[in-house]
Amino acid sequence: MHAQTVRLIHLKQVGPDCHLLKFDCPEVANQARPGQFVHLRVTAGCDPLLRRPFSVMRTNPAEGSFEVLVRVVGRGTEMLAQSQPGSEFHVLGPLGNPFELSGPEGDVVLVAGGVGVAPLIFLATALHESERHRYVRALFGAGTEDDLCCWLELSGVCDEFTAVTEDGSAGETGLVTDFLPEQLDRGAGCVYACGPRAMLAEVARQCQAAAVPCFVSLEQWMGCGVGACLGCVIPTRASGVGRYQRVCKDGPVFDAAVIDWEAMRGGCGPG
Amino acid sequence: MAAGRVDLSVDLAGLRLVNPVLVASGTFGYGTEYADLVDVSKLGGIITKGITLQPREGNPPPRICETPAGMLNAIGLQNPGVEVFICDKLPALREFGIPVIVNIAGETADDYVALAARLSECEAIAALELNLSCPNVKQGGMHFGIDCALTRTVVGAVREATRLPLITKLSPNVTDIAALARAARDGGTDALSLINTLLGMNVDIRRRQPTLANVTGGLSGPAIRPVAVRMVWDVADAVDLPIVGMGGIMSAADALQFIMAGATAVAVGTANFVDPGVTGRIIKDLAVFCEEHGVARIADLIGAAHSEESR
Repeated sequence: MHAQTVRLIHLKQVGPDCHLLKFDCPEVANQARPGQFVHLRVTAGCDPLLRRPFSVMRTNPAEGSFEVLVRVVGRGTEMLAQSQPGSEFHVLGPLGNPFELSGPEGDVVLVAGGVGVAPLIFLATALHESERHRYVRALFGAGTEDDLCCWLELSGVCDEFTAVTEDGSAGETGLVTDFLPEQLDRGAGCVYACGPRAMLAEVARQCQAAAVPCFVSLEQWMGCGVGACLGCVIPTRASGVGRYQRVCKDGPVFDAAVIDWEAMRGGCGPG
Repeated sequence: MAAGRVDLSVDLAGLRLVNPVLVASGTFGYGTEYADLVDVSKLGGIITKGITLQPREGNPPPRICETPAGMLNAIGLQNPGVEVFICDKLPALREFGIPVIVNIAGETADDYVALAARLSECEAIAALELNLSCPNVKQGGMHFGIDCALTRTVVGAVREATRLPLITKLSPNVTDIAALARAARDGGTDALSLINTLLGMNVDIRRRQPTLANVTGGLSGPAIRPVAVRMVWDVADAVDLPIVGMGGIMSAADALQFIMAGATAVAVGTANFVDPGVTGRIIKDLAVFCEEHGVARIADLIGAAHSEESR
């Protein structure tokens, strides 16, 4: 894990409220694994105070850079979106546990919702480049065509790609989870998902019913990012002191089977 | 005078600290969480996450929420319990070679006594911090810290159970913090730490409900610093006990405000989340300040603002 000041080298709007930010940082570029995140300080001042966690979307070790996908949801992300190339930010990372790549045999199914696509682009890229070729089928859902941020970056590294929009402006019409049953019916070795809580809960439910292993990347309001403050927890099925696990340190990738999805429904955090 | 020759050491109720910079309970885990990022051995000391007799799972999420120049937290004292702390956390803490101050919390006076007695059997614990001021648990916690008679009783009972130095952590959620400080002194505390978090709340207007699952939480960060400095000032006036000052310290300049208001040592809390390197920078900058201002010993600055006042 590194703590350092990094330079923003490129920034591009990729959706109505989504921006792709590229930072110069050889350490994260070389060490980050799919599913890991960086904890970014958006201002040197003290308001907004806390860092913001972002999944790494892609790395370019040759260039020494990494990219994150930022959706503007508040003042911190607004400041990031408004920043100029050349600006410097303090970053901690890579943090958290990556996706387990040596999962069970069989096709890999990715389910992405909105900006949840970011870690799955990194994962699909790694699977695509890996010597042990896995057949990767991706489902990517969003509200409208414009919200399908970076869909080309995902489709380019998958063997099959299905876009789903709620308004039918692109791809299939409906919710992304409406199209998961047929993917599971075709057989799948493992499902990886990232997106809104409700989507993840439904993905987890379907995977459990089909007895397919499922791993999800979760987000939560975060304090330290290194496991000390116990602020970013999510509820698991365990009882007692292990019930609440830290997204920053125990996650952000979790086996969907350990999560208490019922308790997650109570609106316990972003998404 | 070179910065390297400035004497940063302070005496906190018989505890010699090589510098006055501690890390505040709950913001630094049990030390190892930050070991990759911080040279923990260079700190003046570490105050652990609060420990209870039995393991506690803590509050449901969301547990934290950002506020202007601050944050609310309602962790609910999640911790593995004193026995697991002693077996799994204490050995690694000891390795840092700095004073380990264990923060203890209970639901009853007997809990505090049992914790103090148990921890007194362990080597390498420098002091106990009595958490009489946690705002985020239903039983105990702040319940003790806002009542003078209870504070005196609990501190007195713990005093009889241990020979370790006792630091009583005071709640700011009171009308007269000096009265609580006197009660803790009368109970036999060796030092005081203040302030714990200020009780606060945030409403999620989109969901039309409190943001935190616990409804209320404790406010920390730079937003509370002026309140904390004022309370250190008041308590320093009221009792003749060493004080660990805390509340929104982000820099050496902030730390010096607390020291000059009467704190012997300071604890850095929320700033660790924002900038893990902050404690190292504060220690360095304290020496630079002393050098630039011809101060040979930082201890000479303790309460300095009071002596200005009396001139």
